[in-house]
Amino acid sequence: MPLAIEARGIAKVYGTGGVAVRALDGVDLRVEAGEFLALIGPSGSGKSTLMAILGCLDRPSEGSYRLDGEAVEALPGRALARIRNTRIGFVFQAYNLLPRASVLRNVELPMLYRGTPRPERRRRALELLEQVGLADQADKLPGQLSGGQKQRVAIGRALANRPSILLADEPTGALDSHTGGEILALFQALNQEGHTVLLVTHDPGVAARARRQVELRDGRIARDTGPGPGP
Amino acid sequence: MKAGRAFPATPAVCSLTASIAGAWTSLWAERLREAWAELREQPGRTALQALGVTLGVASILGGFALSDSLRRQSERYQLRMGGMDLLHVYPQPVARSGPPSALQTANPGLRAGDAAAGAALDPQGVAGVSLSRMDGVQVRSPFALRRSQVTGIGADFIPMAGYALARGRGFAAAELEAGAPVAILGSGAAQRFFPGADPLGQVLDLGGRPVTVVGTFQARVFRFGKDQPNALGWQNRIIALPAAFVQRRLQADPHQRVDELSFRLPEPSRMVAFARDLATLLQARHRSQIDFRLDDVGARFRRQQRQGRVYDLVFLLSGVLAMLGAGIVNVNIHLASLRERVREVGLKLALGASAPEVFLGFMTEAMLLTLLGILAGLAGGLGFAWILTRCLGMPLFLRPGSFLWAGVMAFGFGFGFALVPAWKACRLSPMEALRYE
Repeated sequence: MPLAIEARGIAKVYGTGGVAVRALDGVDLRVEAGEFLALIGPSGSGKSTLMAILGCLDRPSEGSYRLDGEAVEALPGRALARIRNTRIGFVFQAYNLLPRASVLRNVELPMLYRGTPRPERRRRALELLEQVGLADQADKLPGQLSGGQKQRVAIGRALANRPSILLADEPTGALDSHTGGEILALFQALNQEGHTVLLVTHDPGVAARARRQVELRDGRIARDTGPGPGP
Repeated sequence: MKAGRAFPATPAVCSLTASIAGAWTSLWAERLREAWAELREQPGRTALQALGVTLGVASILGGFALSDSLRRQSERYQLRMGGMDLLHVYPQPVARSGPPSALQTANPGLRAGDAAAGAALDPQGVAGVSLSRMDGVQVRSPFALRRSQVTGIGADFIPMAGYALARGRGFAAAELEAGAPVAILGSGAAQRFFPGADPLGQVLDLGGRPVTVVGTFQARVFRFGKDQPNALGWQNRIIALPAAFVQRRLQADPHQRVDELSFRLPEPSRMVAFARDLATLLQARHRSQIDFRLDDVGARFRRQQRQGRVYDLVFLLSGVLAMLGAGIVNVNIHLASLRERVREVGLKLALGASAPEVFLGFMTEAMLLTLLGILAGLAGGLGFAWILTRCLGMPLFLRPGSFLWAGVMAFGFGFGFALVPAWKACRLSPMEALRYE
């Protein structure tokens, strides 16, 4: 399988001189397209920092990073924005929906930044809401939805521009176990469809749903179960 | 020679162009929609921010409206006085020390002959020539006896001085030439000497010389403000006679001297050259004496208008100060608002919004707010000016340039002050913004 993510010697240093903190310290990670990987570790282990770098939200202090074969660590801000928009779908623990925008508009947002024409945007957003089981909630505001529904909207939004990689940071962290299970099932289904899913969690139970687990400790990979069987 | 190949406007190219244009328009529409939603979300804050712009615009526009209306009144007055395209010539004393020189003694001064000589300088350009000669005489009618001023006039005097006949007739050329004993009365003079009676055909005695009233002028009224006196009231007291009558019969002046010559030149481009040539001609005809003064009405009016621009500057400055204050307040409110929306910015950046997109989003919001402030300010300024001019009793007038000034100043300030928060927003790191608490 082709490599979706290839990170070599990734380090992230915050601060300078005596107060410098190495959040990541020489991480090597290769993720094949179509994998379902859980990035686990205790708080402060560097997993969110690694996810930010893999999601092109941040730049590594050292090391190289290739996304779908393209070196991205030195790309300018605008090119990184384009990559985040078209190749990566983000799902956050706190959902991060725009509170004053309707569910439909929240899902439309990445397509808006891509310049997708309004009719096509609308059609695609409704299709995604159908896919995550919220077609009848399109006109509601996020505040009118339950936590699980909000996370489904966030997943629908993450899929808007048909990204190859889904990055989820503690996607079930704010949900009860039943709803969390439903969300994980949704991720599994998306992985079955061919999406590469990278899930950050501190919960071993959640991590167990992934086929591969990578454990971070003190900014380094402490354990990697290796790629499991394909979807 | 090869024929040039035209780039074919294939359906694919047209479709691509339309698609790009559509996406661009759609993006701007979305930015506007989002900006509008944001402004509506915080109506109190929006109103407060727009208020500063509104006050600035209203201050500029209101002040300009007052200044424009006064200027327009002044212009209307000049037009009622005969127009802007007039060049008046008045006699003026020659500076002298000691007894007059032989040339000064031999100079008869400004006289009727100068009018014809002046008009001959530019026959195509001069559309009218007028002259007048004043005298004070005892005027007697069957109803009144009092000393009054009489005005001897030339052929084009009536239209060039802005008079119009109400009844009767004007002077025939032969009457003007011969200095016939005929008179036209202003409405005030008619009322004074023939109260309640029809003056036409009546006889007035001017120092023992009877003249027949052949016409009356329309009453002339012009008020700068509601409670102001009639600025043209003095013109209603005119007792107009042929100039030759005043010069020969009342003054026995062989030189037919005049108190005023006027030339009408409808084409402004000819005025400067004509005035220069006329001055040269008159100096030559007056024995090298500069015993006359030229008054280019249009130039004088424009000079006065320019001097009045200082008020515009004062109004502009007060508006600018209001906008400056509003701008500083707005920057702080925008920055505070940005602090509330850092995570939202982070999310947009994470979803693929570029830094310029975030910048444009904030700028759109600020400029929409400015636009609302401008519209409210224009309406407020107009209302303020309307009330003010109503109180002063003059018609409201505004130059399009005044709207433009007020709008452009507010837009410029709005744009300038919006740059800081928009720049700060677009410089945020997506990761730091998402983690912002």
